[in-house]
Amino acid sequence: METLYIEPTEFTPKVIFDPENSTFDISGFSRPENVIGFYKPILKWMEDYNDIVLSNNTQFEKSILTVNIKMTYFNSASSKFLLDILLEFMKFLSKGNKVEINWYYEEGDDEILESGEEISDMLGYQFNFIPF
Amino acid sequence: MLKVSERNNILTHIGQLSYEEIGFLLNRMSAYIDKQGFNITVKKKIYAAMVESLENIYKHQDIIQTDPEHLPRFSLFIEDQIISLFASNSLRVEKISPLMQKLDKVNALDRHGLKDLYKFTILSGNVSPKGGAGLGIINIAKVSENKINYTFEKINDKFSYFTINVLISLNVK
Repeated sequence: METLYIEPTEFTPKVIFDPENSTFDISGFSRPENVIGFYKPILKWMEDYNDIVLSNNTQFEKSILTVNIKMTYFNSASSKFLLDILLEFMKFLSKGNKVEINWYYEEGDDEILESGEEISDMLGYQFNFIPF
Repeated sequence: MLKVSERNNILTHIGQLSYEEIGFLLNRMSAYIDKQGFNITVKKKIYAAMVESLENIYKHQDIIQTDPEHLPRFSLFIEDQIISLFASNSLRVEKISPLMQKLDKVNALDRHGLKDLYKFTILSGNVSPKGGAGLGIINIAKVSENKINYTFEKINDKFSYFTINVLISLNVK
């Protein structure tokens, strides 16, 4: 499966989902004018990736999936979609994959840290919180 | 009428908002905050309240083309260690009741209650065609840690002029 690569813009984050290395990075700023138009293709990619991993038993089967979220800001509509993306990753747990979620926040930025803690709480899954 | 007393104006915008204009206002605020040396959490709180307020105007403004008195308006002031944000737009009267209910609901909640409401809304709500997830006002209340003051001023039988005033303390740890 091809890597998903989305260049960052003034309003949208950088996205690199690399299935070969099982790393999934979202970083930067998220305030898309068309939030559905931006995030739906990412969710579609996740669904396809999920189908391939779960139905084809490929080499990804038992790999550790590393998700790196390194946001400087995201609006409330984006938070809904970040949650949806992370929910997709939760589906892999039941299939024996390990999922590691690294939530980066700028040192002293309690808002981004707290947002991560809330999403972690909603998922019922522990994140690694890493200042930078 | 919400009181706009003597205070230092950081920025003001009057007129219909574009998405780019929102970015321009955010950049101006960021430059001001950086210059003042406020801490990053304060900056992020102001930033979040601004984005959600401005995007609410952008998504929900019902412009009355023949009425230059009730254009969308956004202002940011600083006074006594408080950042005060005003955001106004005209809107159709049928939007008043659900909006008022939502504002009263968030104003009745404490920090813990707001977190629960945010969680409930994000897990159960869908995103509207305009891109709203129903989280904006809750988020404003969460970051400001103050009640959201609001008014609806009657323009005519069809339209009202809606204003919110959000206060954010600069004395955040």
